[in-house]
Amino acid sequence: MKTLKRISRMHRIFIVQELKRMMEYKGDFIVGIIGFLFAQANNMLFLWLIFRQIPNLAGWSIKEILFIYGFSLIPKGIDHLFFDNLWAVGHFLVQKGDFDKYLTRPVNTLFHVMVEKLQIDALGELLVGIAMVCITLPSLTVEWSVQKILLAVLVIPFATLIYTGIKTITAAIAFWTKKSGNITYMFYMVNEFSKYPVKIYNSFVRNIITYIIPFAFTAYYPAEYILKGENPLFNIGVCVLISIVMMTLGIIVWNKGIRAYESAGS
Amino acid sequence: MIKVENLRKEFKKTVKEPGLAGSFKSLFHPKSERVVAVNDISFHVPKGEILGFIGPNGAGKSTVIKMLTGILTPTSGTCTINGKNPTENRKSYVKEIGVVFGQRTQLWWDLPLRETYGVLKEMYEVPDDSYKERMSFLNEVLELEAFITSPVRTLSLGQRMRADIAASLLHSPKVLFLDEPTIGLDVVVKDNIRKAIAQINEREQTTVILTTHDLADIELLADRIVMIDKGSNVFDGTISELKSRYGRIRELHLETNTKNAEKALGYREHFHFSDDDLKVEQEGSSVKVRFNSDTVSVSDMLAYTLKMVNVKDISVKDADIEEIIRRLYRQGV
Repeated sequence: MKTLKRISRMHRIFIVQELKRMMEYKGDFIVGIIGFLFAQANNMLFLWLIFRQIPNLAGWSIKEILFIYGFSLIPKGIDHLFFDNLWAVGHFLVQKGDFDKYLTRPVNTLFHVMVEKLQIDALGELLVGIAMVCITLPSLTVEWSVQKILLAVLVIPFATLIYTGIKTITAAIAFWTKKSGNITYMFYMVNEFSKYPVKIYNSFVRNIITYIIPFAFTAYYPAEYILKGENPLFNIGVCVLISIVMMTLGIIVWNKGIRAYESAGS
Repeated sequence: MIKVENLRKEFKKTVKEPGLAGSFKSLFHPKSERVVAVNDISFHVPKGEILGFIGPNGAGKSTVIKMLTGILTPTSGTCTINGKNPTENRKSYVKEIGVVFGQRTQLWWDLPLRETYGVLKEMYEVPDDSYKERMSFLNEVLELEAFITSPVRTLSLGQRMRADIAASLLHSPKVLFLDEPTIGLDVVVKDNIRKAIAQINEREQTTVILTTHDLADIELLADRIVMIDKGSNVFDGTISELKSRYGRIRELHLETNTKNAEKALGYREHFHFSDDDLKVEQEGSSVKVRFNSDTVSVSDMLAYTLKMVNVKDISVKDADIEEIIRRLYRQGV
């Protein structure tokens, strides 16, 4: 309990610090947000152009597909917003020896790295995702129950953890290889598959995004339960389980990696 | 206080043939060898001591410091501070220490300096009242007042170093590690920083481990020296022990109108000096002679010199520690 309190306090302090930092460079901050909104609008336009031609896909209507797409942006956006700094580990923190400073401080290194930066661009992603879910839901016929609402909300932090876990594992590889930014990128980009119904892929791709790089659990499977009420045990239960496995694996690899960290000459 | 026992660190190094082709080959058939950066180093530091930790570039100083500060995990051996071990419990270990790397800053680059102290206060869980007291003390010693509201990126190197030292002391650590704290600073700032270190050490009995290439830092601050070379401990003792152990180098200055004084004097032939024990430099009429007074006594040298050349002025002085260290770095021990 005490550590939890300390963690949330530290988190708040880092975020406040980060917001102050952004205010130091107002122009950059504003342009960043505008740029991101443009990018998202572009994505939406592209989707609309494609789905205008296709009334349904693997048994999913256009509205349902837009719901899945929107839902996928929520965990992705949360991870992007809060834990984006993990990229820096693989890109330069380890290679340049800048990781040293985290090790000299009495704070868990993974936690420290994760919460040190706030990626405000991600708000665009997050807002677009929430908007798409809110717009598509009323026109879909979904049977709601208390259990379903609870599970739909509960699954979001776990889906986020899938992103964070995969980023942690791939970032920690840098402790051995010095650089792992491209490895993180390769794994991370697999999430693009998760924006569409998994059934449209062949079994090879399907198995990969379900069991190996389990991004399918960040959108499609939860959506299958939310929209069609199918198989909550698998669609939600396995999502929770697999996200915990991913994050645990991340922490284990990270802690092993720290012992292999070699710093850089100075 | 600090116990370092049989500390050893090996790195794995990929061996590549030169050129692009070599790099390409190593991508598919990587060859690696183990490099021993630190080999079996042991020393103890009692509470309140200032230890000068020196050695030539690449001797393994930084590697040792990084193991002592919890950054690197030793291949074998241990270091403990008050019985705490960084590989067992890094978080509680680093609470007891303060670290300054002269080449890197731990301050929040984009924000006013004050903000950094605010975050560190939370990180190290310093209570409000002791934080206030601490800040006013550090202000007094390191004179932070003038720039505490400026963003860190706008600070001069001297200000930044003072700010970094203050940051490392905020949580009243028992041990302070200073890795080249005077690097790149002007004489006045160097002086201020040395004074501040001495003051903090005296007032709080803070143990200080100091690495530097500026031997004035060592002479003015260090109670003791540990010197390493090629990853091994080569000297551990006080400055006067260093001076008496590694030969008494003396410097003879003379003014003469003799053109080639070295040849005219012929010390080497007359006294049978070895190469390391004698060095003669001439610049116009002034001649500088460094010699080992264990080989030939000062009075013999003087008498011989006065006999051989026409001397206008002559003086003898103790060579400084710099000369001793220079000899040690160059030849090994």
